[in-house]
Amino acid sequence: MSVFEIGALYGVFTLLVMFSGMPIAFSLGLVATVFMVFFMPPAALDTVTQNVYEEMSSITLLSIPLFILKGAAIGRSPAGRDLYSALHVWMNRIPGGLGIANVFACALFAAMAGSSPATCSAIGSAGIPEMRKRGYPGGFAAGLIAAGGTLGILLPPSITMILYAVASEQSLGRLFLAGIGPALLLVSFFSAYAAWRYSHEARHAQTGSVLLADERFTLRQRFAALPRVLPFVLLLTGVMVALYGGFATPSETAGLGAILALILIAVIYNTWRPRQLEPIMINTIRESTMLMLIIGMSLLYSYVMSYLHISQSVATWIVAQELSRWVLLAAILLMVVMLGFFLPPVSIILMTAPIILPPLKAAGFDLIWFGVIMTIVMEMGLIHPPVGLNIFVIKNIAPDIPLGDVIWGVMPFVVLMALAVVVLCLLPEIAMWLPEAVIKTMR
Amino acid sequence: MRLLGLLNRAIVLLSAIALVLASCVLTYSVVLRYFTPEPTDWQDEFSVFLLIGVTFLSAAWVHSQRGHIGIEAVASILSPRTNRIRLFVIDMLSALFCAFFAWKSWTLLHEAWTEGYVSATAWAPPLWIPYLAMSAGMTLLTAQIVVQAFHRRPMPDGR
Repeated sequence: MSVFEIGALYGVFTLLVMFSGMPIAFSLGLVATVFMVFFMPPAALDTVTQNVYEEMSSITLLSIPLFILKGAAIGRSPAGRDLYSALHVWMNRIPGGLGIANVFACALFAAMAGSSPATCSAIGSAGIPEMRKRGYPGGFAAGLIAAGGTLGILLPPSITMILYAVASEQSLGRLFLAGIGPALLLVSFFSAYAAWRYSHEARHAQTGSVLLADERFTLRQRFAALPRVLPFVLLLTGVMVALYGGFATPSETAGLGAILALILIAVIYNTWRPRQLEPIMINTIRESTMLMLIIGMSLLYSYVMSYLHISQSVATWIVAQELSRWVLLAAILLMVVMLGFFLPPVSIILMTAPIILPPLKAAGFDLIWFGVIMTIVMEMGLIHPPVGLNIFVIKNIAPDIPLGDVIWGVMPFVVLMALAVVVLCLLPEIAMWLPEAVIKTMR
Repeated sequence: MRLLGLLNRAIVLLSAIALVLASCVLTYSVVLRYFTPEPTDWQDEFSVFLLIGVTFLSAAWVHSQRGHIGIEAVASILSPRTNRIRLFVIDMLSALFCAFFAWKSWTLLHEAWTEGYVSATAWAPPLWIPYLAMSAGMTLLTAQIVVQAFHRRPMPDGR
């Protein structure tokens, strides 16, 4: 059989097994093992577990459970609610300020917790009822939170970016920094849309509607909201300083962040008894083991793919097409979007990196820049049906908003993300400026 | 079944401790680096062992919570009867793969034990420790999948 036939078979077999509903981790492992049996020397089978161990035993990859622990500790505490109410009392004078406060709360919380679903449920459970009480349409409120939650994989410490850095052999520190500019771009897009939508709704609202009701907070109320929020913002900045000041490696910041988060919730929210910590630990173990097994098996999957020369041949074939740069980029992004309909970002990255990164590099794209673009595109998958993880989180915290409304509410944000990708293609400096500047000052 | 349940609960507790311990060890190496010029040699690897242990040993418990996600798109098209058959076939294939992986882990463990494999770092800890976690974890996972396939109860959310 030619490499291409084996490759095609590999692809078809993978789709078949995955769509049967078998857990993703086992599907990837099963497909890889079956192809090892048929197409690789028997000795390869003997080292299969050793391969998995060697690929997994990197502290960068294994810092993921600790980032999840930090996220769960903050996500399960009332920090999200407090952050939300603080932003609300500070921003309520701006037209559409409530929506904008939600976007900012999502971005800040995402940066602290590093997880999209955790952000959606923490900010959404306070934000969605508040927005609906003030007359915002349910679909819009749901869309805003679902989209705001996706910022979690673009802002440091993003688990998606950790995997991309490992798969593409790029600097994780630079990649983290490169995500910040685009995240701010998305925040401004989302906020502008929220403000526009508010004024649109307000124009059509009848006098006396709750949407137009005025609410004032005194300065004292504003400052009273700060003390519970500041420690978390300090945690966020402290961890970043430790990382970029050269005091800690990215994996060490994971451990440091987890410990600090546990200490903070113990001090501020009095959460330290084993019974209170149990849900945090259980959630962490469930999420991280699920993710780490998918990662381990994805690594085995791509090892087999490259042993059989499938990835290299497909990559060479793509390069040989001599597509123009932007057609190549568009084709690859389209593929990522389609995969994003069904697969979580972690498996997309590990399965496709060996195939798509060499052609992109040959076409002269910066792989750090592409990592940011790919992350935004995968964010779309998080809020896009049929899988759209965040949609289901929203459905859980606001069950009375019809699913159709949620999906229509999310769509404008999908368009805004696509717009952000276009802007980043035209102005790559938005992503690349910060890492260049920081690396320069560190030298 | 009950024995597996008890074992899993103990593992979850140990995993929780291991996660916090790994965080402490990594934090310690940051502090140590700040105050002394001494290189940190064992902290990263120690954490790797702990986290590999957590991942593999808790895999069975995560399966008992139906925590290993898959693409459930076909479930809505098929009849309940076909779905039951589909789920059973999936479980058997998953168990087959996990059993194979467990078997290869045990042979690797045996090799590492008899040949005295150590990690290729300055600290050089024996490699049978993480391999043991992999072997035991994958064996437990296989058992869990088989037990669950024969005692399939609907989950609270209807899955």
